[in-house]
Amino acid sequence: MNAIEGRDLHRSFGATPALRGASVAVAAGEMLAIMGPSGSGKSTLLHCLAGILIPDRGEVRFGGQRVDTMNETGRSTLRRERFGFVFQFGQLVPELTAVENVALPLLLDGLHRKAALTRARAWFGRLGLDGLENRRSGELSGGEAQRVALARGLVAEPEVLFADEPTGSLDSVTGEHVMELLTAITREQGTTVILVTHEPRVAAYAGREIVVRDGKVGYLTPAAADAAPGQAAP
Amino acid sequence: MIRLGLRLTLAGGREAAIRLVITAAAVALGVMLLLSALAGINAVNAQNARYAWISTSVEFVHPHAYARAEGGAPVHAGARDPLWFQLSSGYVDGQLYGRVNVAATGPGAPVPPGITRVPGPGQYYASPALARLMRDHPADELAGRFPGALAGTIGPAALPSPNSLVIIVGDTPAQLAHEPGATKVTSIESIPPSGCDGPDCVVGVGIGSSGIDLILSCVAAGLLFPVLIFIGGASRLSAARREQRFAAMRLAGATPRQVSLITMIESTVAAAVGMAGGFGLFFLLRPAIATIPFTGAPFFTTDLSLNLGDVAAVVLGVPVAAAVAALIALRRVQISPLGVTRQVTPKPPGLWRLIPLLAGIAELALFVVIGRPGSTGGQIRAFLPGFVLLLAGLVIAGPWLTMAGARLMARRAQRPGTLVAARRLADNPRAGFRAISGLIVALFVTSVTVGVITTMASYRTGPTATPQVRNTVVDNFENPVSGSNQAVAMPAAMLARLQATAGVHGVTLVHANPLGTSYTINDHHRRFLSPGGLATCAELARTPVMGHCQAGARVVTVPPEGINPFGFSQDTEAWGMAALPAARVNRLPVTAIVVTTNGAGADDRVQTVLAGFHPSLGTATTIAETNTYNSANQVLLMEEQLADVIILASLPIAGCGLAASVVSGLTERKRPFSLLRLAGTPLSVLRRVVTLESALPLLVVAVVSIAIGFAGAELFLRAQLGYTLRPPGASYYGIVLAGLAAALGIIAATLPLLKRITGPEVARND
Repeated sequence: MNAIEGRDLHRSFGATPALRGASVAVAAGEMLAIMGPSGSGKSTLLHCLAGILIPDRGEVRFGGQRVDTMNETGRSTLRRERFGFVFQFGQLVPELTAVENVALPLLLDGLHRKAALTRARAWFGRLGLDGLENRRSGELSGGEAQRVALARGLVAEPEVLFADEPTGSLDSVTGEHVMELLTAITREQGTTVILVTHEPRVAAYAGREIVVRDGKVGYLTPAAADAAPGQAAP
Repeated sequence: MIRLGLRLTLAGGREAAIRLVITAAAVALGVMLLLSALAGINAVNAQNARYAWISTSVEFVHPHAYARAEGGAPVHAGARDPLWFQLSSGYVDGQLYGRVNVAATGPGAPVPPGITRVPGPGQYYASPALARLMRDHPADELAGRFPGALAGTIGPAALPSPNSLVIIVGDTPAQLAHEPGATKVTSIESIPPSGCDGPDCVVGVGIGSSGIDLILSCVAAGLLFPVLIFIGGASRLSAARREQRFAAMRLAGATPRQVSLITMIESTVAAAVGMAGGFGLFFLLRPAIATIPFTGAPFFTTDLSLNLGDVAAVVLGVPVAAAVAALIALRRVQISPLGVTRQVTPKPPGLWRLIPLLAGIAELALFVVIGRPGSTGGQIRAFLPGFVLLLAGLVIAGPWLTMAGARLMARRAQRPGTLVAARRLADNPRAGFRAISGLIVALFVTSVTVGVITTMASYRTGPTATPQVRNTVVDNFENPVSGSNQAVAMPAAMLARLQATAGVHGVTLVHANPLGTSYTINDHHRRFLSPGGLATCAELARTPVMGHCQAGARVVTVPPEGINPFGFSQDTEAWGMAALPAARVNRLPVTAIVVTTNGAGADDRVQTVLAGFHPSLGTATTIAETNTYNSANQVLLMEEQLADVIILASLPIAGCGLAASVVSGLTERKRPFSLLRLAGTPLSVLRRVVTLESALPLLVVAVVSIAIGFAGAELFLRAQLGYTLRPPGASYYGIVLAGLAAALGIIAATLPLLKRITGPEVARND
């Protein structure tokens, strides 16, 4: 069963088309890597699937429900309660400690502060961040900050994790460590992962890869060719 | 490099243009306020200078400046063709007016300012405001006090304010020669009250030198401080984006010195543009600013002038200050070719910051314990440092208080918005406090003055100020030279006119006491004997606010407090019997007249009747008028006016400062906020963060500021007067709440920006 699906997605920014009829379907628990060169539309595709952007044309469904027709409040609620996000950099709130940053989605869901912090702390051992709970973002290395961001993306146990270049600002060793953790935890939790990257090494962690070129999903790995109808392999 | 700096500033694209416009607008507003403050100081001096001529005849106040002519009449030394000059005052509609009776002894007599010639007998010149009142009131309430006809209006040269109530009445030299307090002068006084210092000054006329100092210090503390903070805050707008650009320039090979130069050029250009706008705004708004009763009375528009020094100080000072502020701001970051790194989180403010505040309280409390000094100078030396310590202590302690409040809020926060706001404030409480410090100063000054004034008014008029007490007119025939009451013959016709005046309930004449009964008076500073007067019980029964007779008495001795309006009450005391028959007492000369009325214009009518009756021996007044125009209260009222003006001016400035700080904070955190929104964080959470970051220091320190203001007032009142602080009236709470609401409203006005700069597009493209 598909967890999330985008059909014939079109999206332009002014006169510049970013997506031109892209379609993709991601099965529940699957890890999908979206690859492509800069400006190909891979981030736009991720943002449309996550309900961050509304496509000009086409539809996005999550669990059978139309996402593209929801209003802003509905999409915000969906993102907050059922999705998780990890970005390249700059996502931690600088005033909060690492543990408070991780607890933020739980607090936003209305969980009591003490309980939220307790649940957030549990992630530090899991991600090798012991002892860094009370550090601010400026006091963390790039890899540490990205692992904190990963913990924040997963702490509310989302159904889908959207990761946009999660290792883009890290060196290869640290990047691999972050990806190993991401893969292990999402597999363990059964989380669907949609990953945007331009690095084949990172994409290799995914069960399936697609390539976006000129706003279209131009290549599908054979293993999942039948998951996204209407797309032809080159 | 200068050309590059100008190119980046003036032709650096849309963002640079917006930054230039915002900074220039902020500087323009700041410069307008700065110019208003400077022009206000000049206006106060100009206004004060026009009080000088009024004090021309006060020879008993300046004894060294006058000589006595033959016959005992005082005359200014060197008189050739002198002018008889007599100053008195009266009240209409509860407002004080100045009355100057003049009589020329020859064609060379000096002419008071504002009129072209000395009015002859039966003529008078009135200020436009008084002439208007005379037209609007029935003759028996006002015009009847002035014999003769209006010869013209008094020009602005003789009027401190456009609404000054002044009249110059012509007399014959023979009439004035016999009036106490009338003097012959050959020149009109030109030294303003501020030029006079010490005990010989005419208290209550104009503003003394200490008053001018007070105004200057209040203006400086209350207005300039927030204005400068505001300009500084505006120059930090878009700092983050600018710093990124500088990092790129460093990468391209620019030296730190070149980066600094570009910063200075950018700030100086914005300041120069803003300065020009500020001058334009000032001249545009000058007529409106003149109507603000800065000293209790509005100014003439032309009084709000700028001298060359003011213009030079602003034209040169503002761009230089802006350039220096920009350089200081740049010092807080290290711009390397690889980007901008902020220096470590600032050290938290230490507990020592509370010391000046506590020292101020201790200093004032000391005088509650050991008692206040006897002399006025000693009292100023005792209390002024305490209040200065409290004021400075508030500004110094502000960041610590902000931090303490923020930490407390962070510990208790359950909502993410509260937590983020509290953490940010706790991280850099100085920045959080800086934007609101001007408001805090204004709140403190207002709380002290309102606390003191309310309490003094309450003790003086107090619960006894019933309508009956308020509608009592007292005319004490006080000799202006000796200061004691003088006995004057009471014509039966005058008594009959008073009794027949519409609205009069009763008239009591206090007669000179041939029995010589005296009472010991304990003033604050001295002890002395004062004679009591005599009153018949038949009259006293109709003016119960004075007191009542012992059972069986027909004549009683009235002690001094019996004719002191502040001693009036409905809960009257019984005065002791005097061993004189009433018929004989009625024939004795009088030292005071007390009239009770029903209000509704009757007060003015009684004062009109009494206006011509020994006008040089004091003025008939109601208790409300006495209280309002009491010399000590005048100073307090002026302070209250100042406090109101300062707080009303500071609030929008503080609000603008807050807005600049909010916008600056938002642009700095554009990316994390955008990503939070993108991850589903409701906009309301981010709005809460932004609002709390500004509102928390505002509210926490405002509460402390008000509390310290009232504590200072309480200690001062206890030490100086033995009073206990009374709660202020609703208008105080109204001003404070309106001010805080306005400041919060300005913060709220920045919130739409939050939505715009944290949208998904921003997160994608930033």
